[in-house]
Amino acid sequence: MNAAHIRKVAEDIPRISLVWLLVAQVLVIIPHVLHVPLWLLGLWLGCAVWRVQVFRMRVPFPNSWVKAALMLSSGFAVYLSRGSLVGLDAAVALLITAFILKLLEMRTRRDALVLIFLGFFAVVTSYLFADGLLAALYSILPVIALLAALLGLQQSSFAAQPLLTLKLASRLFAQAIPLMVLLFVLFPRLEPLWSLPQAKEQGTVGLSSSMTPGDLADLGQSSALAFRARFDGAIPAQSQLYWRALTLPHFDGRSWSISQRLATQEPQWQAQGEALSYSIIMQPSTQPWLFALDVGSSEQADIRLMSDFRLQRSTPVNRAYQYQATSWPKALRQPQLSQMQQHEFLQLPRAGNPQTRDWAQTLRQQYPDDNALVAGLLQHFNQQPYHYTLKSPLLGKDSVDEFLFSSRRGFCAHYAGAMVFTLRAAGIPSRVVAGYLGGETNQAGQFVQVRQFDAHAWVEYWQLGQGWRSVDPTFQVAPERIERGVQDALKDEVDLFQGDFLSPLRYQHIAWINQLRMSWERLNHSWQTQILGYQRERQQAWLKQWFGQVDWQTIGLFLVLSAALIIALLVLWMFKPWQRQSDPLQRIVNEFQRVLQRRGFTRQTGEGLRSFWQRIRTDLPEEQQPAVIRFIELYEQQQYAQQLPDLVVLRRALAEIKK
Amino acid sequence: MLEKLSSKPRQWFATWLARRLPPVQRIRLQQRHIFIVPTLTGAAYAGSLVLMLLVAINYQNSLAYALTFLLASLGLLTMFHTWRNLAGLTLSAAGSTPCFVGEQGSYRLRLNSHKRDYQAIAVGWTSTQLQLLDVPFDTEQYAELTAQGLRRGWQQAPRLRIETRFPLGLFVAWSQIDLAQTLLVYPQPLHDVVLVTAGQGDNDESEHANMSAGVDDYQGLIAWQPGDSLRRIHWKAWSKGQGLLVKQFTEQQGQQLILDFDQLPGAVEWRLSVLCAQVLKVSQTDQSYSLLLTGQTIGPGVGTEHLKHCLRALALYGVSTP
Repeated sequence: MNAAHIRKVAEDIPRISLVWLLVAQVLVIIPHVLHVPLWLLGLWLGCAVWRVQVFRMRVPFPNSWVKAALMLSSGFAVYLSRGSLVGLDAAVALLITAFILKLLEMRTRRDALVLIFLGFFAVVTSYLFADGLLAALYSILPVIALLAALLGLQQSSFAAQPLLTLKLASRLFAQAIPLMVLLFVLFPRLEPLWSLPQAKEQGTVGLSSSMTPGDLADLGQSSALAFRARFDGAIPAQSQLYWRALTLPHFDGRSWSISQRLATQEPQWQAQGEALSYSIIMQPSTQPWLFALDVGSSEQADIRLMSDFRLQRSTPVNRAYQYQATSWPKALRQPQLSQMQQHEFLQLPRAGNPQTRDWAQTLRQQYPDDNALVAGLLQHFNQQPYHYTLKSPLLGKDSVDEFLFSSRRGFCAHYAGAMVFTLRAAGIPSRVVAGYLGGETNQAGQFVQVRQFDAHAWVEYWQLGQGWRSVDPTFQVAPERIERGVQDALKDEVDLFQGDFLSPLRYQHIAWINQLRMSWERLNHSWQTQILGYQRERQQAWLKQWFGQVDWQTIGLFLVLSAALIIALLVLWMFKPWQRQSDPLQRIVNEFQRVLQRRGFTRQTGEGLRSFWQRIRTDLPEEQQPAVIRFIELYEQQQYAQQLPDLVVLRRALAEIKK
Repeated sequence: MLEKLSSKPRQWFATWLARRLPPVQRIRLQQRHIFIVPTLTGAAYAGSLVLMLLVAINYQNSLAYALTFLLASLGLLTMFHTWRNLAGLTLSAAGSTPCFVGEQGSYRLRLNSHKRDYQAIAVGWTSTQLQLLDVPFDTEQYAELTAQGLRRGWQQAPRLRIETRFPLGLFVAWSQIDLAQTLLVYPQPLHDVVLVTAGQGDNDESEHANMSAGVDDYQGLIAWQPGDSLRRIHWKAWSKGQGLLVKQFTEQQGQQLILDFDQLPGAVEWRLSVLCAQVLKVSQTDQSYSLLLTGQTIGPGVGTEHLKHCLRALALYGVSTP
């Protein structure tokens, strides 16, 4: 018995599998580090060391008391650090905890299997927190390591080279890709079967439903991506890209907020001028409102145009979300307003900012016409020494007064807020609009990329018959903000990317880095639209394009047939039938035939070796005869005797003939 | 797996298998020899894939879809890998190691690979008792499958099970092969029986030894002299520091021992067992002996070959050679 190794089924775990399990565990846990409690890492380290020591027979497995204590205390610790045991965050923390603790309980192959399956599941849950291109590419590593561990479980203990196992796992992985792509494209995307807790975006930044001037300034420090927009036609100028998110009509003396009693009635508007068509992929915002140029509309069923002309989705945007929208920038918006509505847009706190109120009255007397008053106000911002800055001084109780008459330093939100206050005090219905302005144009990718620091606030006032009209006081103070973007406007003052040394945005002035960054953004954009955005609507559209209509029966048939084709090709490649060799005995006989054929003696098909010999013996040169008959005799012995062919003897006899 | 089937379908299956896979000495496993079914592990794998798919659907997560589909495709493809890990493997009988009734003999199995590396091939009689071996490309590997000697004579090997779960254990490809292997089972030796029946006596001219004189009845110890067999050295005494002593047996002075079946009373099997024990005993000495079975004389002779010859004759007494 030179190589057989006796092993009972379902017992201990081969070393190779253990090695890969430990590696896989690290790889699986790494992407979860950002959202699981940090003490889990310590727990993992402890468990891994313990398990390795068990393998080296230094320490025993923990007994059931220790295990129970560990399990309970870890569960409790998750509860403490997450505040509950329900919700995605806690569930994933528990999953990872189980994944770690299972290590200590891993005695048999079955335990190892449980651990591996848990690992695959943990990889899937990591996608709920991060599904970018890099995260996806990274996740190949833990998956292959888990496969290697699964493979190692099946290998005999002679296989002692972890790298060979890894190679085999990678090959399996690669072979599965064509079939995976097919399934990915054709498998019907179903609506969620039931609702599940969603991943909380870690520190999501973005507009919120109320705004104090300082909020937007904070947002101005963030280079996080808000959304990308791809235009069907040419990209409009920067100064045209006022992306509306929401309106903030209510002022409480300090902050502007959305209307509490905003009716969801259909707004009145008339499309005028040329339409712009574009698609937007927005990053998770945890808010239901979407971004669109005025006046936007979308045909998607879950998107509605609200009465303040914002687009809103039926559910909050918790994952990257893609939608198609069309805008009419020159549309006439709500030429009629009821008394009640007008009243809402004239709302002001009872008291406060007396100086501004007085000033509004003065303006009213100076300009009886509303439009003239607005123009005058804008001119005021233009001519007085206002300063556009992120670093505005802290304002006191009468914030508008302080801003307009003493500090005169502020960010867009200060200007918009102060202007709306003044207009309302002068009796003109108006509101603050919050959203984004401009964005970075990626020429190669034909899309605009809007970041959080592009957040902006502007003003709308209402005129009977003319409807809502937009004005931007910030333009009067810092036209470069509108025309070239916030980075340019504030370049002397702040480093937008403080503390973010690695951010490629810091190095925009270095051409090739910028080029690289643009390409990367483009790649990300495609990733989001093509891969992450491949959901129900997109699939339907794609299938329509290819199959004419979405008929699941046809598609199912196509799926089965092409899967069969792919499998057939793979199997063909795996088995390589063109390389098929008959058994070695046959190979030797074939060679014998070839040797004789070269000498002019061809064996006919179906002719036995013996009769072949009878036929050719007379023609065969005398000196060759003994070698040939010896070979034939040996072959017959081997063939018919109940023993294994002794190939060496046969080969030697064949060599004799060849001489 | 097969064990779980109740007896009737099992019998039916055995008959069907015997028709499909008749006994051969040498077999190259091919399509019609190999069966493949998912394992419990495979079912668990499928179960976790369903869970992952539910996550993908409920969270509308493309990557979760992608990983689920990847693992599903991979699992499906391992079916072919598993099948391939058996296909083309050549199995052949490579002899057996005889044993006595009640002891463990073994069948030798040879596995050849002419095509590729075969990993984690499991062979055994039942699916619960398998040994694992690798058969690298262009090599021969041997497996020794033990079996208990049940009855004297040629013992047919049961169908052997060869299976593999490689690479991922999601499927098991298996075959049950009858390599027409036989194991020679010797009679169970009866050591404790002291033979008292006298033979023809010492004075007989044919020099038949008296069996009752007993080979183990040695006369005593004498000092070792060059030329004495090492086998007869009394090592125990030597280890006690008494010097080299040689065991002296009564029958050794040119006498020849004849073990005669017909001289023994009792049932056939009993007689064979007694003779078996005697043969084993005598063969420990240098004594030349012969075995007389009805119509068959073996020996006289000494040595291992002679012993094997005698044991074989005892084992096959009254048994037709296959």
